[in-house]
Amino acid sequence: MTPATRALRHLPFRRNLRDRRFQALAAALVLTLAALFAGPLPLTRSGVAVLAVVDITGSMNVRDYTLDGKPTSRLEIAKAALRRMVAELPCGSRVALALFTERRPFLLFTPIEVCADFAPLDGALAGIDWRMAWEGDSRVAAGLHRAIQMAGELDTDLLFVTDGQETPPLPSTGLPPFDGKPGAVRGLIAGAGAYGLSPIPKYNDRGREAGFYGETDVQQENRFGPPPADAESREGYNPRNAPFGASAAKGTEHLSSVREPHLKALAAQTGLAYAHLDGPDGLAPAFTAAATPRPLPGRIDPRPLLGGLALALALAAFLAGLLPARFLQTTRM
Amino acid sequence: MGAPFGSFGVATPWLLWLLPLALLPLLRSATRRTAISAVSAAPADPLSAAIGAVLTVSGILALAGLIVALAGPYRAGEHVTRTGIGAQVSMLIDRSGSMNETFAGRQPSGEEESKAAASRRILGAFVGERAHDQFAVTAFSTAPMLVVPMTDRRDAVRAAISAIDRPGLDYTNVARGLGMALSQFGPAAPGVSRALLLVSDGAAVIDPRIQAQLRAEFAKVRPNLYWLFLRTKGSPSIHDKPAGEDTPQAAPERHLDLFFKSLGVPYRAFEAEGAEAVAGAVRQIEALERDPIPYTEIRPRRDLTGYAYAAAAFGLLVLVLAKLAEADFLRQGPHASTERAAPVARHETPRSDAA
Repeated sequence: MTPATRALRHLPFRRNLRDRRFQALAAALVLTLAALFAGPLPLTRSGVAVLAVVDITGSMNVRDYTLDGKPTSRLEIAKAALRRMVAELPCGSRVALALFTERRPFLLFTPIEVCADFAPLDGALAGIDWRMAWEGDSRVAAGLHRAIQMAGELDTDLLFVTDGQETPPLPSTGLPPFDGKPGAVRGLIAGAGAYGLSPIPKYNDRGREAGFYGETDVQQENRFGPPPADAESREGYNPRNAPFGASAAKGTEHLSSVREPHLKALAAQTGLAYAHLDGPDGLAPAFTAAATPRPLPGRIDPRPLLGGLALALALAAFLAGLLPARFLQTTRM
Repeated sequence: MGAPFGSFGVATPWLLWLLPLALLPLLRSATRRTAISAVSAAPADPLSAAIGAVLTVSGILALAGLIVALAGPYRAGEHVTRTGIGAQVSMLIDRSGSMNETFAGRQPSGEEESKAAASRRILGAFVGERAHDQFAVTAFSTAPMLVVPMTDRRDAVRAAISAIDRPGLDYTNVARGLGMALSQFGPAAPGVSRALLLVSDGAAVIDPRIQAQLRAEFAKVRPNLYWLFLRTKGSPSIHDKPAGEDTPQAAPERHLDLFFKSLGVPYRAFEAEGAEAVAGAVRQIEALERDPIPYTEIRPRRDLTGYAYAAAAFGLLVLVLAKLAEADFLRQGPHASTERAAPVARHETPRSDAA
């Protein structure tokens, strides 16, 4: 019998096995080995699929936001908010982009993934310009109804960023009827703009800014369809020749603020949520709250948990030297 | 996130502030403490000292390995520039309302395919086949619209192309569309072949003032220009001279063709009167655009966490074995008093004394 084996035979194994520090180190070793060989665990996360529709009509050029101390237009804030939202959405979420002007959304691309295709998506959002508008009208209600239909076709939720300014103004009969099923497409209307009235910049045919719209530059009242109920009391009213009264309509349609009551009425009519766009931040949580969570295949890495526990145990084994000896031995079984 | 040491980095750098904790084994041992009257009574034992040092190093290795592993070490990915076959292709696609009609000029019914649907199918296949091309998509009707900037992400380009058979807009304003499609190329890169592919089913008069601007732009960018003209049956061809006055207003297609020919850039027009002809034209363009193009390949970053865990596991293994082999020095027992303590046990005496 060699001295080494003799020494081994007389080692107090039972006592060693009961040593708390041995147990801590052994557990740390097991956890570390588990971390070494553990693969990522599958798990289901929730992402979103969204059709983002951006209003690019003239009233979105109103500069009633402030960004870095400079007056910033609603469209710039909407673009910045969308770019931040795309960066914040979990990977696997998909975003399609459409522009709104006139009375319908125009689809630029079908949904693309927000992480792998981030660069083109971000570039497309950065490239949005009011000059892409193909007509000057801004029939927000009609545009929203068609956007809901488009989102349904694409099987996505809807994010509609607009200030709610109808050009021409809505007739006295109020909102156009909604043909779809309210709530079938979920999503959010984000109201852009400040609550106070601001002038709308005017651009010439070469796209350069040329002052602001005046009261007589825009239609102040929609005179299609039946006249409003109070028409009879108007000056110069004549049922045949002047059903809307004799004087020109006066109003504040040449100024713009976020039309929150109108947007809230639209949200109620179509079963969407409404949130005010306060700035470039915060669109992602607001939209995620309103959207349908879509299961995405995700993975979780168990290694930080295993490694963290192992580190705590190993540190405890070394720090235990500070404790009195009686705490370090389990009681005899 | 950062790579402070050359191409190496960690995912969560703040965790590295815990690294001084790894020096704990220098101060404290994980082995049992035994009271002894005088260390100097024991003779100097190099083997015990060596074992003690090994255990200290193992402890440091275990703790440091775990901390580094938690911080997530990696070797940074690289961008490698290589040369492939391809080109920068800027697609300018007509989204005017007439694109939703068939080649016969009717609303599509049954098996019939609209011009937009045919171009969607054929251009989608074109994008799918070419590995190293970069594409940009611009749409135009009354106004030009930037759809997707120049990118090598083909999923995004395909998503843009799959939107082109949606209902189109009003007019065909080709001049502003050409301007935006040219701006998609960005600053010139040496040795990159550039192609501008115009897909339209009509033409429009280009304002003479804008003509001069476009001419200057084309001279600067110098792309190969391809015009895929989706001709509706019975409508005038590019080459037809009008019966009356030969003005741009009377024959916009012919005059757009003449304008393109006068630009001084390589130019080809393809007149397609059906889906097969479109596919043939796209095949020809594909064959023509075969030039070397530098492209960037991203090598993914390599996760080194496994190595850190392996180091920690090795250190812990040594410690665990040492703990198993701990002997009771000077303990009153049946063996401890008779046997000479094993060298494994001897080392702990000075250490625990220090503790």
